Amino acid sequence: MRFHWFILKNIIRRRFRSTFTIVGVAVAVGAVVALVSFSTGFASSFAEMYEGRNIDLVVTKAGVTERITSAIDERLEDTFKSMPNVRDVAPEMLDVVSFPDFDLIGVLALGWRPGAMQFKNLTLLEGKRLDSAGLQVMLGTVLAKNLGKKVGDKLVLYDSGSFEVVGVYRSFAMQENNGLIVPLVQLQRLLDRKKQVTLFDIMTKNPSDKQATEALIKRIESLGKGLSAQTTAAYVQGNTQIRASRAMAWVISTIALVIGAVGVLNTMVMSVAERTQEIGILRAIGWRRVRVVRMILAESLALSMIGALVGTAGALLLNRLLASLPSTSGLITGQIMPGVIVQGFIVALVVGLLGGIFPALHGARLLPTEALRHE
Amino acid sequence: MSESSEMVAPNSAQTNGNDPLGEVLLRVEHVSKSYVDGHVRALDDVCLSIHRGEYLSIIGKSGSGKSTLLNLLGALDIPTSGEIYFEERPLSRSGDLDRFRSKNLGFVFQSFYLLPILSAIENVQVPMFETDRSPAERRRRAQTLLETVGMAHRADHLPKELSVGERQRVAIARALANEPQMLLADEPTGNLDSHTAHEIFELLDRLHQNDKMTVVLITHDLDLARRAERIVRMQDGKLTSVQHGI
Repeated sequence: MRFHWFILKNIIRRRFRSTFTIVGVAVAVGAVVALVSFSTGFASSFAEMYEGRNIDLVVTKAGVTERITSAIDERLEDTFKSMPNVRDVAPEMLDVVSFPDFDLIGVLALGWRPGAMQFKNLTLLEGKRLDSAGLQVMLGTVLAKNLGKKVGDKLVLYDSGSFEVVGVYRSFAMQENNGLIVPLVQLQRLLDRKKQVTLFDIMTKNPSDKQATEALIKRIESLGKGLSAQTTAAYVQGNTQIRASRAMAWVISTIALVIGAVGVLNTMVMSVAERTQEIGILRAIGWRRVRVVRMILAESLALSMIGALVGTAGALLLNRLLASLPSTSGLITGQIMPGVIVQGFIVALVVGLLGGIFPALHGARLLPTEALRHE
Repeated sequence: MSESSEMVAPNSAQTNGNDPLGEVLLRVEHVSKSYVDGHVRALDDVCLSIHRGEYLSIIGKSGSGKSTLLNLLGALDIPTSGEIYFEERPLSRSGDLDRFRSKNLGFVFQSFYLLPILSAIENVQVPMFETDRSPAERRRRAQTLLETVGMAHRADHLPKELSVGERQRVAIARALANEPQMLLADEPTGNLDSHTAHEIFELLDRLHQNDKMTVVLITHDLDLARRAERIVRMQDGKLTSVQHGI
């Protein structure tokens, strides 16, 4: 008989309690994996929107907390284009729209100029790209499916205009697949923000030249127009929604961690209390204190690791399910990064250690004679 | 069965260095044990020598201190005063009593204390986790020991599937797992009927005679105690007399 077989038998022996503990840990780890996965998926998708197009700098209004509230004069485009180290400049307007009839919320609406650099890397699945400033709209593949629209159909936006679907695209960025693109002037009109844009995307001539990029940032910010120029990475990191989703994920994960640890602690305290006499016997027949600690800790860690496996599997299934639902498919990739699964197992390890260490030390401190007298 | 009784020096069952019983394995020197801040004196200045290969019974009524003495002999507890020597080395200077127990002692309890989730052969292997034996070696040794106690045919049965006598046989096999120098049995037949008790004593006798195992038996039954070579009587925490049995 191997020691781990003995541990496993101890777990199976109290199958109901072990099952409940595993479920508790699974919920905790599943919550961590699912929530952190959602937030990292959201962040990476957001980053992909810029990095995938080789956009090096994003210029927004300084001090805004929500990116869609940023408003910059569109006429600054020529000023940026005249700066050294600038290869291309593209204005962009962003908004978030809903289609309540289809139970769709948080759909990204992009205003781009026809032929702009942002269209690079979009895969056209149907129809054509925007080719005029008229009432044209391109739909992301997920949004087209959720709305049941195809090329040639009409789509009413903001209750004030019927747009023709001219193309369906697939983007490398999840959010854009659940989004739509209309000509910049149309979105400006719909939002009543003429000659205003949300941000400028800037492609530099030499992205690897950090000093030149820094100099460009300083030059833009010193224009006296209240602008903030950030590298793509900094812009993504500073995004309020991403920060909020990360913070929320970790707050809920921490609560889940505490609940999981208390569950394991309860199980192991009860287990040690019930087995006091048994621990006395093990000590009497020569088991060292450290082996008693190993036994109890191994049990709590095994419970936690089984819980982590179940929780991770549950998170994967949940992720797949949400990725297939219309209302959430544009927000969730359906994939879980290996790093997030590792995080889940680290959480389980901490839960197992926190829940097991006190009962383990208590069990090891029992005197054999006292433990043997225990009934 | 011949029997002789002798008066010993008050509270002493020690023998001198030229003892015909042979080499002293364990020596108890003026050991006392008190509980509840010294108000309850469970053992009072006890002296006792146990020889290698000896079969010794400790008898006494409930509360006489015999289980306290067994706990001290088995290094499960430490004396309030006095010293216990094992092979002339004081236990108080043994840094690791767990290791000492594992290496030198085997325990048999009245209530068997087998682990209910483990089969007979697995129960016998439990003490061997503290040795360097491989899992395969542990299993082989457990099988051999079960054969020794006549339980090989029940090796894969759980304790609840065994009779009380069979459970005690498995417990004895477990006590022998790490080749102890001394077997300490605390009322090993207390929960058994007379026929089964007789079988268990036959087994202990055989271990003593065939394997020269040192056996210390605690009992309140004088008839059973008489199977030992020497009987130590306890009363009110003191040794009162020594008899030579068999």
